[in-house]
Amino acid sequence: MSISEHTTATPTLAFGQRGFLSRFGPSNRTIFPWVLMAPTLIILFALGIYPFLYSLYIASHNVILSKPYIPQFFVGLYQYQAVVQDPEFWHAMRKTLFFTVQAVFIEFWLGLGLALLFQRQLRGIAYMRIFILIPMILPPLVAALIWRYMFYPGAGLMTYYVGGITRALGLGEIPFLSDPNIAFQTLVFVDVWEWTPFMFLMLSAGLASIPRQPYEAAEIDGAGSWRVFWTITMPLLRPAILIAVIIRTMDAFRTYELIVIMTRGGPGNATTTLNVYLTKTGLEFFDASKAAALSLIMMMIIIVMSFVFIRVFRSKTELAE
Amino acid sequence: MKKLSYTMESPNAPPVQRNWWVYVVIVLVCVVNFLPYLWVVMTGFMDGATSASATPTWFFTPSLEAFNYLISEKGILKNFFNSVVVSLASTFFSVTIGMFCAYALARYDFPGRDDVSFWVLTNRMMPPVAVLIPIFVTFQTAGLLDTLLGLIILYTAMQLPFVVWMLTGYFRDIPRRYEESAMVDGDTWFAAFRKVTLPVMAPSITATAIFVMILSWNEFAFATFLTSNQAKTMPPAIMAYSIGADIRWNVLGAAVVLITAPLILFVLLLQRQFISGLSQGVVRK
Repeated sequence: MSISEHTTATPTLAFGQRGFLSRFGPSNRTIFPWVLMAPTLIILFALGIYPFLYSLYIASHNVILSKPYIPQFFVGLYQYQAVVQDPEFWHAMRKTLFFTVQAVFIEFWLGLGLALLFQRQLRGIAYMRIFILIPMILPPLVAALIWRYMFYPGAGLMTYYVGGITRALGLGEIPFLSDPNIAFQTLVFVDVWEWTPFMFLMLSAGLASIPRQPYEAAEIDGAGSWRVFWTITMPLLRPAILIAVIIRTMDAFRTYELIVIMTRGGPGNATTTLNVYLTKTGLEFFDASKAAALSLIMMMIIIVMSFVFIRVFRSKTELAE
Repeated sequence: MKKLSYTMESPNAPPVQRNWWVYVVIVLVCVVNFLPYLWVVMTGFMDGATSASATPTWFFTPSLEAFNYLISEKGILKNFFNSVVVSLASTFFSVTIGMFCAYALARYDFPGRDDVSFWVLTNRMMPPVAVLIPIFVTFQTAGLLDTLLGLIILYTAMQLPFVVWMLTGYFRDIPRRYEESAMVDGDTWFAAFRKVTLPVMAPSITATAIFVMILSWNEFAFATFLTSNQAKTMPPAIMAYSIGADIRWNVLGAAVVLITAPLILFVLLLQRQFISGLSQGVVRK
């Protein structure tokens, strides 16, 4: 590999510096890389590991931020138990899973369809790509604000035009954000709007890297386009598909701005996902200990999910090769 | 059977039948993706009465009322300035610091190298909310709440894994002998690095910096909970104009224009690098 080539290169280089500092200089292969990495490692330790350990500490104590006068004492695993026994936690868990699965599923198929469409050599298609990508370029905050506006009763385009259609059909106004079930689907819709371009981009990159030979062979064999899609495109696209789906799943799982801005978890708790529930616990009720326990549980879920995904990813790619 | 073309910009792709329905679908998707944003931007240039009407107005005389209100009454330029300072500073620090780390990981094979590189990555796997409360408490104790310095430190740390990870790949692609020949000529390591490696790396570093800057510019959760007045950046400031019963839509629109203007400018200027970098960065993962 190229990495080991570098290491076997001769260290007999002329350096301008001599003396104390040169001991840590580039010729010292054991210390010099650590000197170069030190600032990064220190900062990541301070703002990565330390907060994590602090979370572990808080989660095993009883800390309520709004009541600093209460003595903090060790409570063992009580906080984790409190989270797991809270029906609200399981409700939020269900909502999060529903949201993630629905959004990623729809985004994948729409993104794939678009990517295949953009495979065609069409005039002006390069310029259209930037229009397709607009939603994902916008800050998530802005995407959420835009759609809050679109769906706002008595304002927004959706309320006006879609409302006009439904009134004509005798259905009345659609309560986009005020009916529990509809509000949930509205959020899924906006997530699809915002992130289908991401799937599109990833899958386009994947499609671009597929060689042409298998297609030519299929053409000679007279295979239909549907058959070609399932036996050639899909298997060869698998690595790109898995990467795109993994990233999107992780991100959908922790969607924050969208929900907080559009519904604040409501109406009732219809759109309270784990992230929203965590924010409420920690920063509205100031129950820091329970929130810390909850965030550690969430982290475990994400880590387990990524391990499962990576496992599946590895075995499937090996099969493909 | 109609032929398909298989690669995005393949020169030897077969000629394709130009079906009109493909155009219809693509144009429709473009409209759906772009129109909501365009509408909000248009709202920003309406006067209060026009924007408050329940019937959409597509043709109107542009007015700067909302921008005036935001700038002179709400002092949004201060938030804008905060955002600029925080994103520029954190980009500068994370790229400068992360660059050396990436260089070490790409060039040297030392015991524990793979562990370090994996550990750097895991910092990005952690959901931001998981560290929000400890950081809040720590910042409170350290007096960093509602300061630009606090945000700069935090964003630098947040972006470092991304910088290290992107740049390591790019450094590996540069042959080592470039630097070596400069050092044989008598330069110090740093001089060789600066004169030889940096210029070759410039495009990759720029691309990385742009990403990092955009991520910092857009950051919302930490900015909301760690700033209140002095160091408030654009995202939480803009959020404030969208809450409450009597929202002024043109003010919201103007705010959206202000926060997205730098982004759109960037993307238009650097369209190609942006899109290729975006897909490359993720495929490298």
